[in-house]
Formats: sequence, structure tokens, C-alpha cells
Amino acid sequence: MSGPTTSRVLRPGADWRRATREPAWVRRLLIALALGFLGLFLVMPLVVVFAQALERGPAAYLAALADPDTRAAVRLTLLAAAVAVPANVVFGLAAAWAIGKFNFVGKSLLTTLIDLPFAVSPVIAGLVFVLLFGLHGWFGPWLDARGVQVLFAVPGIVLATVFVTVPFVARELIPLMEAQGHEEEEAALLLGASGWQTFRRVTLPNVKWGLLYGVILCNARAMGEFGAVSVVSGHIRGLTNTLPLHVEVLYNEYDFVGAFAAASLLTLLALLTLVAKSVVEARAQAATRAADTLREADG
Amino acid sequence: MSIEVRHITKTYGSFTALRDVSLHVRGGELMGLLGPSGSGKTTLLRIIAGLEEPDPGSGTILFHDEDVAGRGVGQRRVGFVFQHYALFRHMTVFENVAFGLRVRPRERRPSRSEIRDRVHALLALVQIDWLADRYPSQLSGGQRQRVALARALAVEPRVLLLDEPFGALDARVRQELRRWLRRLHDEIHLTSVFVTHDQEEALEVSDRIVVMNAGRIEQVGTPEEVFHHPAGEFVMHFLGNVNVFQGRAQDGRAFFGPIELPADSPYRSAAGQGRAFVRPHELEVELHPAGAESFPAVVAHIHAAGAQVRLELQTPAGETVQAELPHARYRELGLARGTRVYLRPKTIKVFVDDYVI
Repeated sequence: MSGPTTSRVLRPGADWRRATREPAWVRRLLIALALGFLGLFLVMPLVVVFAQALERGPAAYLAALADPDTRAAVRLTLLAAAVAVPANVVFGLAAAWAIGKFNFVGKSLLTTLIDLPFAVSPVIAGLVFVLLFGLHGWFGPWLDARGVQVLFAVPGIVLATVFVTVPFVARELIPLMEAQGHEEEEAALLLGASGWQTFRRVTLPNVKWGLLYGVILCNARAMGEFGAVSVVSGHIRGLTNTLPLHVEVLYNEYDFVGAFAAASLLTLLALLTLVAKSVVEARAQAATRAADTLREADG
Repeated sequence: MSIEVRHITKTYGSFTALRDVSLHVRGGELMGLLGPSGSGKTTLLRIIAGLEEPDPGSGTILFHDEDVAGRGVGQRRVGFVFQHYALFRHMTVFENVAFGLRVRPRERRPSRSEIRDRVHALLALVQIDWLADRYPSQLSGGQRQRVALARALAVEPRVLLLDEPFGALDARVRQELRRWLRRLHDEIHLTSVFVTHDQEEALEVSDRIVVMNAGRIEQVGTPEEVFHHPAGEFVMHFLGNVNVFQGRAQDGRAFFGPIELPADSPYRSAAGQGRAFVRPHELEVELHPAGAESFPAVVAHIHAAGAQVRLELQTPAGETVQAELPHARYRELGLARGTRVYLRPKTIKVFVDDYVI
């Protein structure tokens, strides 16, 4: 439907481009600058990571990955993400549902608060948890007396990860739900659907691509988070080191192959995220286009 | 199934959308709620549907003598058609229409084959059976509105409510669709209320019209009644084009702009400021004065493209007057811009302040 329209729009564009083109040397210079910048700051680091990781051959690379501490770091990172992502989905959906579909006092305050983890430095986020759960913190002594350790243990790492990732899903969904309005939900209720049926059959399918996009970004951040986790972790090898922290520890110990092997895992995750992100983005755009044509109607 | 609205008031903060509105819709009737934007017509419709709550303690809504005020949206069994269709965008036409049946609790849910038969019967009724597998984004506006209607009818509603059902369509589709809606209503006889700001639409489709303004009902009546016997200045103004002449009645004489009312007019006994209303088609255009109320004017503009010729004229006092006449009469008079003519009102409706006759 949109295919022929696009090509019809693009054809006169060819003439327009010829008329507004810069001289050849300007174009080549700009392209060279852009490619040079891209190579220096994006491609080279990527190559360096894998080159360093594989410096002593694939066997050494695999051995470095098989190291028990590295595997513990991978497990902890996966655990943090496994808690943070579902928590984020639940919170993000609830917050976006409330903000996008209802009017209430304090709505703009809530919207601003959701962005707080983006606004503060992750180190500060970590320090907040130290203040709350440290031995001299607000809840620290009480929890310590009951044998619960939050700081320098897995719960602290999970908490810090959840905190820094809070905005991801909500920020994706709020504008989407606001734009979609609540007429479809009203229609569903009028047709006799319950609140839950309306949410599951109408609201959720309408935001599924935005939700998935938020989950992908949230997951990438949860696995890659360094600052906040670093403050609350305590850097105990094999116990409280996540993958990013483990990379730092290995690097500081001059274990370059180990550090870059672990780093290559994070890099692969990043590349995977980018691919997934662009796939989801394309799908979401197609869905939005369909929704737009729906709204414009033909009258 | 009749609908009875009793003393409903609705306020949003300091804005009063409805002021003590009462209305009776007879069973099987197609009623048009007509009014400018902000007049409260959509609010009234949404309150009948249960999508909005009237102000606490303000009144009740009865469906066939049963109070539905405490009933939730889903239990009132109303069919509602939104102006922008509100179709479920991720479902096919078939799934949209089947939705109301599929969400029923298991014990009341029809079997799969029953649902299929019913959906196809409804799609056949709204004449889009061949579109069952399309998504809403692949349909034209008129087709979407038909899907919305089929979806609303699928749950066997007791009343059908339509919010500006043709508002988002272009003029030709709109005309076609509203005639079709009228025929459909004559077939199924479901008590229906539709909201519109288009007076032509209301006059053409409705059995009776409710004219609303600023949260109040101005008049309820058949299209003929509200058009020919408007209850007030607002209705006169809102339904069709009209010329307004400011003036006053005093001491047995009444002047409204260029018009002096004839001696036998009942309005002459009134006293005070007022306005006289004359519809453009009720101004006789003549080349010579005829009678006391005939007044001179000069043709300023001629719009001859239409069923009638529309004239814009200027009186010596500088007032602009609109008149309409048949093409044959226009050619007979040989009018052109600048022609001096005499206008004779055939029907005058006068409203004197605090004294309506």
C-alpha cells in the first residue's frame, strides 16, 4: 500500500537532488570525514576487542571464557537482567497505562520521576543504596540483625540494576499509549469485555512492538551497567562481580586475553541488541503506519 | 426499548456540559442530537452509554423503565459507534465483529460455528462480507464505519448510539452512508440515538431531532417541526441559513431593519427590542415594490451553481441580505450584479426579548 506511494514521491526527488548538489570535492571530503570518524571511533574499538581477545588463538579465548570466575560473572549478569527486565516490564506497563490512559493529580510529577534514573549519575544511584542499606545506613542495621545482607551481595546488585533501568519500558510506552488514546478500550468495555480482557486483547497487542523495543534496550543496559553496580558490588571475585566489573578486574590484573574475552561477550550482546532493535523498529514503524492510515481514514 | 433521561447534570470542573437535561426517546425511534460543538450532545450520548457518570445525585437514566444508573458500561447492552470508528487495529474485520461474542463468559458464549455464522450474517447486513479477512488499515472510511456498526450490532444491543457517525467521511460517502443507515434502521427498528453537528444530516435521517445548545435542550420535534416552527432564536439560527434584522416594536408599529411589519401582524402589539428572521428562500425577489413590507436592495453577488440561485444583496442602509430563488425565476427577472430589486418577505419570524409570541 505504501510501496507505490513512496516510489512516486521519490522519482521527482532525483531532479531535486541534482539541482541542489554540492561540487564533487566537497561531497568527497564530507564523506571521507564521516567515514574516518566512524572508523576511528566505532569500527576500530570493535576490531580491537576481538583482536585482543583472540590474540593467543581460539583455544586461549575459549579457556578464558571457561574460567570459573568469568562464568560466575556471566551467571550473575544474567540473573540481574532476569530480575530487572520482568520488573521493568511490569512497572513500565503499569506506569504507562496509568499515565497514557487516565488523568490524575500528580501525573506530570510521576512522568518526571520516571526519568530520574536517567538524570542522575549511576554512581550516585549506587551511593543511594549504600546510604540505605550500608551498615551505617537507614535500613542496614535492622536488616543486618536479621541476617540479610543487601550491600556487597547479590540483592544490592539486583536493586541497583533495577533502579538504573526503570525508565526504559515506561518511556517507550507512555507516548505510544497517549497517542493511541482510549477509544479502543472504551469500545471493548462497551462490547462487554472485562478490564483484564480489554488489557490483554486490546491494549497489550497495540503496544507489543514498543514493549519489545523497551525490553531490548532495558536488557542491554541491565547487562552492561557498570557505575551503580560497581559501588554496591564490593568486587568479590566469583560472587559479586558482574561481567562489566569482571572485565575491569581482569584488565587491572594485566590478564588482557581474559579481559577482552569477557568484553567480547558484552560486545556481542551489543551487536545482537542492535540487530534486534532495528528489526523491532521496522516492525513497529509498519504498525504505526497502519495505525496512521487508520486514523486519517479517507475523508 | 425506550430511553428516558431524567434531570441529568454534568460538570467538568467549572464547565457545565449538561444542565438538568431530560429527554424521552421512544422505542424503535431514530433520534438525532443536533447542536454546535460544546453544546453537550456527545456528553449526553456518552452518559446514556455509561462511558461518563452524571453528577452525583443529579438524575437517572432508564432503559425501558429500568434504572441503569448503577450498571457498568458492559452491562447496559448498548451498541456504540465512535466517530473515528475505534476499530481494533490489530484484528481483522471478522475478529473485530466477533470480539463482543468471544469475550462473553463461557456459559453464555456461542460456539465457534455460531459466532462464524453470526459475524458473516452481520457483515452481509452491512454489505461488506467480502472484507472479512482485511485489517482496518486496509479499508476506506466508509467501510470502517460499516465494520464499526456491525461490531456494535453483534452483541444484540438494546439501543444503538452513534457519535458523529459520518463526521470523518467525505461529503459523497457521507450522503450515501446516511441514507443507507436510515434504510437499515427501517429494517431492524432498533432504538437509536445519533449525534451530529450537521443540520442537513439531522433533518434527513432522524425521526425526531433534539436541538441542543450550551448544555440545554432547545427543542425536541420532528424535522418539519424544528425547521418550520423553531422554538427559539437559537434553533432558527442553527437550522439553515437565515437573515436577521435587528429592530423594535413599540406603540403598535414594528420596524426590523428595512422591514415594517404589516398592520395585521400580531407582533405589532409586542413591545421592546427584538429580531426578525427571514429565510433566504422566503424572500420574494421582484423588480417593483409590492406591498408595505417590500424593501429595495441591490444585487451584490450571484451564486448560480446549485439547485437554487443564491443572491447576496445590499440594502440602502448597508445591510447584507441573502435570498434564494429558482433558476427559472432568476432568468425571468434577468438579474445581474447591480440590478435594483425589491424584496418581499413571505414569512417572518419575530422574537422580541422576554416576549416570544
